[in-house]
Amino acid sequence: MSQNGAGPVSVWKILKWVVALLVAAIAIFPIWWMINVVFALPGEPVSLNPRLWPTSLSAGIANIHMIFAQTEFLRAYGISVAYALLTIAGVLVFGSLAAFEFSLFEFPGRRVLFGFVLLSLMVPSAVTIIPAYLLTSQLGWLNTMQGLVVPGIASAFGLFMLVQFMRAIPKDMIEAARLDGANHFQIYWHVALPLSRNAVVTLAILTFIQTWGNYMWPLIVGSNAEMYTVSQVVGLFNSPLSHHTVDTVMTANLLAAIPPLVFFLIFQRKIIQGIAMSGTKG
Amino acid sequence: MKTIIRHCARLAGAAALIVAGMISTAAAEDVTLEYWVYSDFAQGDALALQQEFIKEFTAKHPGVKINITGKGDDDLTAGQVAGAVSGNLPDVFMNSQSVGAELVKVKALANIYDKWMAMPEEYRAQFDKDALEGCMAKPGELYCLPYTGFGSLLFRNLTVLQKAGIDTSKPPATWDEWLEQMKKVKQAGMYAIPDETLIFNSIAEIYATSGNTKSWGFNWDNHTTRIDPKIMAKVLGKFVDMVPLNSGTSRNDQATKDLFISNQLAFHTVGPWVNPTYEQAAKNSGLKYDFVLIPGDEPGKTGGIRSYEMVGVAPGKHEDLAFQFAAFITEKTQMARWAKLLARYNANAAAMADPEVSALPLIKTSVDAAHGAMDVAAPYFVGAVPNCYNSIVIDMASATADGEYTPEEGAKQMISELNDCLAK
Amino acid sequence: MSLRRHLPHYLMIAPFMILFAAFFLYPILSGLYYSFFDWNGVGTPNYVGLANYQSIVGSRDFTRAMTNLAQYIVITVPLGILIALALALLVDSFTGRWAGFFRNAYFMPVVLPAFLAATIWRWIYAPNFGLLNMILGWFGVRSINFLNDTGTMLYALIAVDVWVSAGFNMVIILAGLKNIPMELYEAARLDGASKWQQIVHVTIPMLGPVLFFVFTYGLISAMQVFDKPWLLTGSSFTSYGGRRHALLFPVMDMMGRAFGGVRFGEAAAYGFILTVAIVAVTAFMFALRAWRERQ
Repeated sequence: MSQNGAGPVSVWKILKWVVALLVAAIAIFPIWWMINVVFALPGEPVSLNPRLWPTSLSAGIANIHMIFAQTEFLRAYGISVAYALLTIAGVLVFGSLAAFEFSLFEFPGRRVLFGFVLLSLMVPSAVTIIPAYLLTSQLGWLNTMQGLVVPGIASAFGLFMLVQFMRAIPKDMIEAARLDGANHFQIYWHVALPLSRNAVVTLAILTFIQTWGNYMWPLIVGSNAEMYTVSQVVGLFNSPLSHHTVDTVMTANLLAAIPPLVFFLIFQRKIIQGIAMSGTKG
Repeated sequence: MKTIIRHCARLAGAAALIVAGMISTAAAEDVTLEYWVYSDFAQGDALALQQEFIKEFTAKHPGVKINITGKGDDDLTAGQVAGAVSGNLPDVFMNSQSVGAELVKVKALANIYDKWMAMPEEYRAQFDKDALEGCMAKPGELYCLPYTGFGSLLFRNLTVLQKAGIDTSKPPATWDEWLEQMKKVKQAGMYAIPDETLIFNSIAEIYATSGNTKSWGFNWDNHTTRIDPKIMAKVLGKFVDMVPLNSGTSRNDQATKDLFISNQLAFHTVGPWVNPTYEQAAKNSGLKYDFVLIPGDEPGKTGGIRSYEMVGVAPGKHEDLAFQFAAFITEKTQMARWAKLLARYNANAAAMADPEVSALPLIKTSVDAAHGAMDVAAPYFVGAVPNCYNSIVIDMASATADGEYTPEEGAKQMISELNDCLAK
Repeated sequence: MSLRRHLPHYLMIAPFMILFAAFFLYPILSGLYYSFFDWNGVGTPNYVGLANYQSIVGSRDFTRAMTNLAQYIVITVPLGILIALALALLVDSFTGRWAGFFRNAYFMPVVLPAFLAATIWRWIYAPNFGLLNMILGWFGVRSINFLNDTGTMLYALIAVDVWVSAGFNMVIILAGLKNIPMELYEAARLDGASKWQQIVHVTIPMLGPVLFFVFTYGLISAMQVFDKPWLLTGSSFTSYGGRRHALLFPVMDMMGRAFGGVRFGEAAAYGFILTVAIVAVTAFMFALRAWRERQ
């Protein structure tokens, strides 16, 4: 419905712009507020009369510097990035292999197995977390990267999404490849994967955002300080009875929020297309 | 191609097993203790001092390594519960005395009574009596060593009080005097106090102005509350009196601190953790404030609560070594250094009496505050407090302040609901 | 013989299904098993049959949590989608750089971590001098204690939830919009339809499948709401759910029983009761769609 508004400036047009800008302000304002709290002189009230602009660049930089110097934030960045990337690799590989089968082929038990996977989406994660944790502990995987990553690889949401997308692959392409003598895996690798690139990229981004913000699982599996993810380091500051001042707390949170924001801004074009296209197949 | 995948999977599995094996064999030769502390203590200068303690201890115990990990309050509990369930408890850890009963239930805490009695008398005498009592629920049982703690303080914004025409040279001596001052502040157009009905601890702080430890807390023998209905009715009346005078925010809200800093709030009843914020404001924006004791009904009585954090030892093969470390860090010399660094009160009375320590104003006031204060959830380590308890107290206090009940009705209703809650 | 034919399929799904069985199926079945026991995690579990389920369903907290949940999803899901649809139409009416700008702006709340969003919204909602009450004050409205007045708490939560979900759903709907062929609008316009009528008679029907997906997934995740009400009420394991439990929800209650009360069997039972509710609602949505398709 993208009609070219090339006509004269009407009331509707003005109204449209006002509403659009107002909503954008409501959407962005809290982030802007947080930035201004970080870049403000210490000892100023921050929650009343929100600052509309930063007041002190140097105070903000000092805050940031202090956080990096006094906590193992850099190491946490490293762990979170490794956790996210490894999870993404696992989710994409295992998920796409399975999605390929569930979306394009028939075999006994297909519906039942897929039904189980879908059902697991409807079970709150709070139910599975303790038994999964106990299993991870019995495997000796506590405080290890594999303990963080492996239990999250079989993502039902990832499978569901990739299946939605791969369903759109034309069956004749599969047939054509088979007639060319490709075996099963080669069809997956040379036909299905390239055609699903958008969904795969989208899933990568969504998995990144979700893994980055994951709190409960790293808390109990990565309980020692050397395995702290960014969400846990930030959690150190968020305790309401801590002796920290609010600008320090906000700085820690800002530093934690930057990677997902940057990731999003870089890949936003891909996300928008990707989420969207999987949706239309619902 | 699928064989490649299978190869990779097998290699990955093998690699994981090898790594896991390496980690476990490394642990077999030396002893590594896991040491969990509050998040504040694992950062900055506090962390540096803790690491010095660790260095001094491991110097006397070769082959021992201690890993320190900081966590926020709720995370400490969640991590300790999960660790107990999976058999991966930290060896030495901190938490609040009030979650002690839960931790005993999941067998996260070892009974260190015998080890304690084996320590020399002059060590055992160092600890504050009240704090120690909190760790000794029944004879023959000691589940923790008290560590840090706080007593509630009354922070006063001197600028606001002076503007309201109040003489700030002497703190209010009784509740009535304090209420009068609050009303004067309101007349001068400013907020007097945060809304004390919003969180359990601030309700307890005001209750303590009339009541005391015996008329608060739990009777675990017959699972009833010890709250006295007459005292509670009086206290609920105080909340009603404060309704037009409060800021609408709780004592823990950021907004309350901001109001205080911007000279719109006169009194802030809270623990010493806000002091860094107010010190900063005093330096940068000219805040004039002090901290005094919360006045009670009679002169000489104080309100406010006290709460202690503890160091616990996990049962298991490292128990003896863990206890030695715990005893080391809670000993007078270390506690005095700790107090001096953080300028905060702790449960080692001998350390508090150290002249350099007691000269610090925040500590001096805290010692007095803790002595006159009410234990927030005693007796500890006996029964786990069901979470309906705190919610009922808060709900009934707010409802009464809103006018839904008279103070007498509210008190009666609250106590009967609390008894139902505990009976379950 | 047929196994050999299907072998490649099973091999390809094997890595996923093995991990899934280990870390999802096994925990779910384990949780189901423990839901019939009284277990504090370390002692031996006592078999109690359906006692956990009975005590939960009979408890006042459960009724409260489910009531809150019903009120919550009935408003937040349709409202969020309505706003998302409006935003999608709005963004769609811009072109080029501005379309991209607004699309990104509206998506920002989705990327923000929950703790941050909750902190800032608590400041916005603060009584007397929070941003919202300040603005209301300009219009002479008396201060409203959004997060502590049981009459407003649910709506305050819904506002924050919609603030996030609208952006998320918007982008899905946007793509659905882009797939609608222009000829349909042309035909409608030639028939004399106004812009509004075009939306009602062309856009919405063509968006059917997209709206269904967004609605159903929205319901499933709204029924598992936890972190926003937890953070907005400043809850901890000793006291959660806000004043008079006005923001108590099933997952929150479950977490409290698990980590606060250390009653894992009960928590597991709670989880399964909620799962049954979620499955029921989802099945209802699918049945509704099947019924409408038959019309």
